[in-house]
Amino acid sequence: MTSLREMLENVLRDLKSAGDIEASAIVSRDGLLIAADISQNVNAEAFAAMTATMLGAAETATSELGKGIPDRVIVEGKSGKIIATGAGSKALLVVMTNPKANLGLVLLELGKASEKVKELLGG
Amino acid sequence: MRVGIPVLDDVLGSLPKGKTLTYYIDPEVEGDVFAMQTLYTNLEEGYRCAYVTSTMSPSSVRNRFREFGWELNDFPGFSMVDAYSGFVGSVSEERYVVKDPSNPSELDEVIKRAIRENDLVVIGAFSAMIDLCGEDFIRVAENWTREASNAGSRLVLSFVAWPYGDDVLEKVKDMSNAVVTVGGVHHRVVLGYYYGLLKADWADVNGIAVLFRLVRPGGVRAYIPKILVTGPFNAGKSSFVHAVSNKAVSVDRLGTTVALDHGHVEFKGFSIDIFGTPGQERFDPLLKVLGKEALGVILVVDSANPETFPRAKQMLEATTRFGLPYVIAANKQDLPNALSPEEIRKRMALPENIPIVPIVAKDGKGVYDVLEALLRLLIGGKYDKS
Ligand SMILES: Nc1nc2c(ncn2[C@@H]2O[C@H](COP(=O)(O)OP(=O)(O)OP(=O)(O)O)[C@@H](O)[C@H]2O)c(=O)[nH]1
Ligand SMILES: [Mg+2]
Repeated sequence: MTSLREMLENVLRDLKSAGDIEASAIVSRDGLLIAADISQNVNAEAFAAMTATMLGAAETATSELGKGIPDRVIVEGKSGKIIATGAGSKALLVVMTNPKANLGLVLLELGKASEKVKELLGG
Repeated sequence: MRVGIPVLDDVLGSLPKGKTLTYYIDPEVEGDVFAMQTLYTNLEEGYRCAYVTSTMSPSSVRNRFREFGWELNDFPGFSMVDAYSGFVGSVSEERYVVKDPSNPSELDEVIKRAIRENDLVVIGAFSAMIDLCGEDFIRVAENWTREASNAGSRLVLSFVAWPYGDDVLEKVKDMSNAVVTVGGVHHRVVLGYYYGLLKADWADVNGIAVLFRLVRPGGVRAYIPKILVTGPFNAGKSSFVHAVSNKAVSVDRLGTTVALDHGHVEFKGFSIDIFGTPGQERFDPLLKVLGKEALGVILVVDSANPETFPRAKQMLEATTRFGLPYVIAANKQDLPNALSPEEIRKRMALPENIPIVPIVAKDGKGVYDVLEALLRLLIGGKYDKS
C-alpha cells in the first residue's frame, strides 16, 4: 500500500522526469510544506512559506482589480523560472525550471500534475 | 530514569524501576529511534544500559546511533546484547552474546541475565524475534517483564506492528506497563508523524498525541508546524522572530514587513516553525493566508505605545478566533516610558490567566520566556494530565 505522501512524491518525481524541472514542491495554501523534491541545502520550509505568500498576494491583488483569480504566478530570472500554480483549494504546486526550459511544455506538465495533486488531496 | 522523549517526559514524570514500556510502531514510520533515544538519554545520565540487536550487526547498530549524533563507545555503562553475529557466523566481541539466536531458550537466558545486570534493557527489534521464533515467543517475553520487575530494572521494547493476529497485538500491549504508539497522520493538509501515549500504569494521563520529526543529529523532536507572531506596525515582530530563531528570513521593504517573517527554532526538544505577519493594515488580507493551521499565537506589542493597543486587540481577535492559545510579548521594555505587563493587562482588558512576558526583542532579552510560556499552554491545554 502506498501512502498519500508517497503518491504525492511520485507526482513530483514524474514532473522532474519530464525534463527542464530542477526542483518542485507541494505546499499548503497557508504555507506549510507537504512534499518536496528539493536539494538538501535549500531551506524548504521557508521556500514553502514564501511561495504560498507570493501566490496568495497575487490572488488578492488580481481579485482587488476585479480580474478574478490568476492561473499561476511566474517569476523569471537569469538562472531559471519559478512557477506557482493552485492545486485545488488546499494546496499549490511550485516548480523551479532551468533557464533554457520550454515554458509551454512545462506549463502543460504542471497543469496535469496540479490536477493529480488536487485529486489526491480531495479537491 | 526518564524516557527522554519530549512531552512524554513531562506527562510521565519518570520511567520507574521494574516497568516495561513498549514503543508500538506503525510499519510506515521510522520508529526505532524512540527506543534508541530512551537508551541514549539514560546512558548520558550514567545508567547501565544494554541494547539487544537481532537484525543488525553491532557495528551497524553503532552507526545507526551515530546518525543522530549518539556515540555509544563513549559510555562504559553501555553494553550490547549480540543476538545477530551468531546468524551470520561471525565472532562477537560484545559483553553479551547469544551464540544461537534461533534457539529461544538461549536467547531468553542471555536477555534475563542482561536485565538483572543493567538498569535498562532495550530490545531493538522485538517484532523480528516474533517473526523468527513464532507467536508463542510472546510468553517468553512476558517472563522478561517479570524479571525486570523483580530485579528493579526496566525493559523497553521496540515493536513494529505488522499485521500479526489481533491476539498477538493485544498481548504485546497487555504485557507492557506503558505503551507509546508511533504512527502517521493526515490531518487536513498536515502530512506527518505522531506519537501518543496509549497507557501508563504509573501516571494519570489520557490520550496525548504529539506531532514529531526526526532531526539529525538530535533524534525525536516534538514538531510544531506553525506558531504565528502578530501585532501592530513597528511593534517588533520581525525583531522577535529573528531573535528567537536559529535561522530566519523576512520579506521587509523600506523597513517594514510586506509579506512575512519565517523562522525555525530548536528549543527544549521542540522543533518549531514560526511565521511572522506584517503589521500594517493594508496587508491584512495576507493575515488570513498566514494564520490558518497555526497552533498558537504570540502577540507582540510596543509597551511604550498604548495608542496601538486597540489595533493589537483587533489582530488578536482576528487570529485567535477559534480559541487558539496565545501569549503577549510586552516588547521595548528598555524604553523609559514602557508600561509594565500588569498595566498592559489592564489597558487591554486581558484575562488574568493570559501570560504577558516583558521582553526587549532587539537585544533578545526574554524571547525564550515567551516561547516557553506558549509551549506550556500548548502542552498543558492539549495534553492535560487530569
Ligand atoms: N527600543 C527598542 N526598539 C526595538 C525593540 N525591538 C524592536 N525595536 C525597533 O522597532 C522597530 C521595528 O521593529 P520590527 O521588528 O521591524 O517591527 P515589526 O513589528 O516587524 O514591524 P512591521 O513589520 O513594520 O509591522 C525597529 O526600528 C527596531 O529596531 C526593543 O526591544 N526596544
Ligand atoms: Mg516586521
